Amino acid sequence: MISLIKAAVGGLTVISRTHGLQQAPLHSYLKICAAGLKTFPVIPDYSNVVLPEKPKLKFLNKVPNLKKAKKERKKLRDIQGPARAANTFTCGQYAIVAMGGGYLHWGHLEMIRLTINRKIDAHTTFARWRINAPYKPITRKGLGQRMGGGKGAIDHYVTPVRYGRLIVELGGKVELGEIEHVLTEVAKKLPFPAKVMSRESLEEMHRKQKEMEENNQNPWTFKQIAQGNMMGIRKVLSPFDLRNNGRFTGKFHFPGRV
Amino acid sequence: MTYFLLKMSATLCVKLQRNQGWLPLIQSVRHGSKAVTRHKKPVHILKQKLIAVTQYIPPARTVPPGAYPSEEKHVQEDNEFVLLLKKNLEEVFEECKMIAVVQTNACSVDDMLMLRHRLCKHSIKIRFFPNQVMRSFLSNSVYSNMAPLFIGPTVLFVSKEPKVKEMMSALRVSPQMTLLGACIDNTLLSSQGVVSYAKLPSLTVVQGELVSGLTMLTSRTAFMLQRHPAHLSALLQQYIKQQSPDDGAEATPKAEEAS
Repeated sequence: MISLIKAAVGGLTVISRTHGLQQAPLHSYLKICAAGLKTFPVIPDYSNVVLPEKPKLKFLNKVPNLKKAKKERKKLRDIQGPARAANTFTCGQYAIVAMGGGYLHWGHLEMIRLTINRKIDAHTTFARWRINAPYKPITRKGLGQRMGGGKGAIDHYVTPVRYGRLIVELGGKVELGEIEHVLTEVAKKLPFPAKVMSRESLEEMHRKQKEMEENNQNPWTFKQIAQGNMMGIRKVLSPFDLRNNGRFTGKFHFPGRV
Repeated sequence: MTYFLLKMSATLCVKLQRNQGWLPLIQSVRHGSKAVTRHKKPVHILKQKLIAVTQYIPPARTVPPGAYPSEEKHVQEDNEFVLLLKKNLEEVFEECKMIAVVQTNACSVDDMLMLRHRLCKHSIKIRFFPNQVMRSFLSNSVYSNMAPLFIGPTVLFVSKEPKVKEMMSALRVSPQMTLLGACIDNTLLSSQGVVSYAKLPSLTVVQGELVSGLTMLTSRTAFMLQRHPAHLSALLQQYIKQQSPDDGAEATPKAEEAS
């Protein structure tokens, strides 16, 4: 009897070797009465995930490699409206998606690169750029210069980003919960509002927008009134409004608009 | 019409007379901002009205969300572990004749170990299944009436042979274990029922008693006939005397004649 008590204190393996006691599955051997039932969620299957050779974000140049740098017009329309390119996932599972328009310069890109490269585990996660290195030249005149005297010199380069464009894509043998905090950290520091999304959440967003358009109870829609030029409203609307149906203004996006 | 034209020409001429190059009377003030700005540009009142008119109106809800509890929560797919537990439960119910439900209140590990050891000698196993799994399994099986037993910290005592006496003796030693009920040979018994079941004699004894009870009369008569006939006659005389003491005188000579 005393030996049995000692065995109970000692450990399970000792107990199992004690004479006379039957071998029972470990989980029901000693009294483990829980208030609820512990659920064991299924671990996601990562067998078909291929990690690339260089999992970290590559270095992007501050200045493009041009023989002769040409000054460019402002062309702010590269920020206006929704993105038509690079707005879907390619190889990753999670991404930072721009929720507004803006310019990303080298400082932003370095911040993204360093934060992500420092925080991800290279053995399980990989990251990829979805934007180009800065290519649009921004000119500045010197301090205290008066108006006139030609266009200023090229100061720095930027990358224009539209609403809905993916900035960085992450993937690998990870779940969203593991890298969400890293990506939100980066998303907060961007010059435009940005969101961390997975494939499913992006699809969900598109689906919700479509659903809103379909089950809108309002008999009047922006599209109908603008296209028909009802009440001469085209006087205050631009062709851009006609194309985007009031969901965008300049670089801003209105999420509640349908 | 002509008067208006004259007036217009007069004013124009007047203008020309005043200064050689003339500026228009009304000059619209040109704003400096472009279409894409860092700030949100002031929106024209007509466009504001258009946006107000063309707002999204969601479909009307008859019931506000959260007014009624959603019934979807009850239907939950079992995960693999729960399915495994249910399979084990099925096996247990098929194999074992005796399944007792015992409430273990504040049973320490060493007490539990002692109990297991004692019950193991009589091949009674202690099985633990979570109450949720147990209830969902029972609701789908024949033993649905056992469901109210599984409230609180319960444990199953299972064995292939219904060894109730040994189980009761083991439970008597450990005071914190209370027997709630049992399912012995597919019959549900309460705790009193189990106690009375324990007090029942074994099957062979009962069979023997039944046989002896049936054959009692014939065996008694056979026994009496085997004895000396004088004894039998004496017994019969005694019996007649007891039967009718008034007619004793008439009966006894008849009895003497018979013997």
